[in-house]
Amino acid sequence: MALLEIQDVSKLYGFGDATTLALDEVNLIIEKGEFVAVMGPSGCGKSTLMNIMGLLDKPSHGSYKLDGRNTERISPNQAAKIRRDTIGFVFQQFNLLPKMTVLENVALPLTYKNMTLTKRLKMASNMLERVGMQSREYFLPGQLSGGQIQCAAIARALVNNPKLLIADEPTGNLDSAGSRLIMELMSEIHRMGNTIIFVTHNPELTRYATRVVYMHDGTVVQDEKTALGQVAPTARRAMYNVARLSEEEALAGVSAVMRAVPTKPAKRTLKPTKKVTTKRKTKTTTRKGARS
Amino acid sequence: MKSLAQGHVKMALTALRANRSRSFLTMLGVIIGVASVITVVGIGEGVKHQVNSQINKLGKDVIAVRAHNVSASEGQGIGVLSDFTVTTPLPESDYATVAGSRGVNVAVPFAIAGGQVKGDQTPTGEVVIGTTDQMPDLLKQDMAFGVFFSSDESDAHVAVLGERAAIRLFNENVPLGRTLNFRGQDFIVRGVFDTFEATPFSGQVDFNDAIFIPYGVAQDITSHTAALYEVLTKPNDPKATDQTVASIRARLLKSHGGQEDFSVLKSDQSLAATNAILDLLTKLIGGIAAVSLLVGGVGIMNVMLVSVTERMREVGIRKAVGATNRQIFVQFLVEAAVLSFVGAIIGIVVAGFGNLIIRILTNLQPVITWQIVLLATGVSMVVGVIFGLIPAVKAARKAPIEAFRNE
Repeated sequence: MALLEIQDVSKLYGFGDATTLALDEVNLIIEKGEFVAVMGPSGCGKSTLMNIMGLLDKPSHGSYKLDGRNTERISPNQAAKIRRDTIGFVFQQFNLLPKMTVLENVALPLTYKNMTLTKRLKMASNMLERVGMQSREYFLPGQLSGGQIQCAAIARALVNNPKLLIADEPTGNLDSAGSRLIMELMSEIHRMGNTIIFVTHNPELTRYATRVVYMHDGTVVQDEKTALGQVAPTARRAMYNVARLSEEEALAGVSAVMRAVPTKPAKRTLKPTKKVTTKRKTKTTTRKGARS
Repeated sequence: MKSLAQGHVKMALTALRANRSRSFLTMLGVIIGVASVITVVGIGEGVKHQVNSQINKLGKDVIAVRAHNVSASEGQGIGVLSDFTVTTPLPESDYATVAGSRGVNVAVPFAIAGGQVKGDQTPTGEVVIGTTDQMPDLLKQDMAFGVFFSSDESDAHVAVLGERAAIRLFNENVPLGRTLNFRGQDFIVRGVFDTFEATPFSGQVDFNDAIFIPYGVAQDITSHTAALYEVLTKPNDPKATDQTVASIRARLLKSHGGQEDFSVLKSDQSLAATNAILDLLTKLIGGIAAVSLLVGGVGIMNVMLVSVTERMREVGIRKAVGATNRQIFVQFLVEAAVLSFVGAIIGIVVAGFGNLIIRILTNLQPVITWQIVLLATGVSMVVGVIFGLIPAVKAARKAPIEAFRNE
């Protein structure tokens, strides 16, 4: 059974003429044990999709099944409990509480589980040891480097032993050394059997993934399996384009990087395509109704 | 559940510690409120206590005869205050009338003759009181030095000083045998009183500042115009105090031609009147202080609201890692309660220091009772929790995704 089943999910923001379509009938099935990279220009709906998958947000239309359970009618409290027990979050902004020590931050999810303080801190400490941060337990987040903070954030996400780890641009604020540290850590976690979904702009990082999903204008435009340790074929194409960027393209930013990715929706498939299908030459379209 | 509650309190303390200055400013209202309520009520209680102990020391059988009618039974509301505003002296003959009443054992007159008095220093305006030899006995007042004048000396030019008067006139503690001049007459200082803890039955004169001379001499040198403002008496039989009061009243009424422009008070009656005023004043000022507690509560709400907005990201993070709305609500409510509780504790400590300072700088002795401490703490907690509700609800209702976006 699929861990995560998204069917015709749309997300609308605003009212009337100001309505924007952040997700447009997205279909996605993610199996247990997959390590999924989600790529796409900013504003293509990646973060919205992550939020919906993480039950931080609700879709306007469509159904979302997590672990076989339909989440359409769950109450905010039930959603909170599912977040607590099944989902771990890692954010681009790290989002540790700055006034608490690393250890207390990691123990935070357990606080809401009615656990005694000693037990919480012990579990948090074990988790920090697993991510190699034990020597930094009593540091405040402000005293650590970006990579170390993100390690702590991953420890926090994992402390509840979640089935699903959602990372929204975990390396977005990190240098390449920090990125490598985080990605190695995540792939290690993946090897232990966790399911991970992460958003990235860096094609290089698709090496760590087993599957890459490309999004554009709120839809999944490409979905491919990739071998561990290899840059995904479409991403590689994007990567090679980077070298030939013109000045305007540099200004256009990530959108230009992603121009190898098709902008038209792929044929709607519930299973990821096994074969690399993109042959079409595409050009970057102007973004419409996109938002972060 | 227990561990969760502990966790909330601990979390609240952490959050408050993290924003020390803001937390302190928030608590300031509560601190001032609690401290002022406790101090004001403490002063009221202290004065009441002092007056009571004074009366108890005197004994309950002392009867005071005074000009103008003061009755504790009418002592309701503001009337108690206005009763005390008029004081006219008693006629000189009343002393003899009171002394001659049935059942009276001792009668001691207090006649005020004001004027310039010269000791060692430059002449100063002093209160000179003419009284008789039984006065220290009746008031159970000890001498610090020397002796009071005796019954043989009712015509002698001798004086006994209150301790502050002694220092003012002669610039020394023991001016025994020195001479002071009043209305052209020389008086030899015979003794100095120990400190009068309070002036019995009279708010107008502090006996520590007064000069006492024999009653007869006072009337002679003032051509019998010394104002007799009070006669204190003691009945033969302490159990027959009421009958004695009645007989004094009857005789005075007769001699005043049926006009009741005097009052005959037992000591506990005058106590009741004093207590009524003190209670009223304490309630009044205590009420004003309670308003500042309320203002403190509004301060808590204000800062909590700001804090909730400021901490939206934290709310978002907590919700993302699995906090339910209820848990967020409880967290902020506990924070408000902890704020007001800690504020109340600091307020109590401040009130304690205030108490100490008042005791050192004035002769008041405030009494802090556990009831008022408990009440002030309880009220501030309730105020804190009530005003903490709105911010807590605001934080709890925020959808997680909005909490993240709201920066």
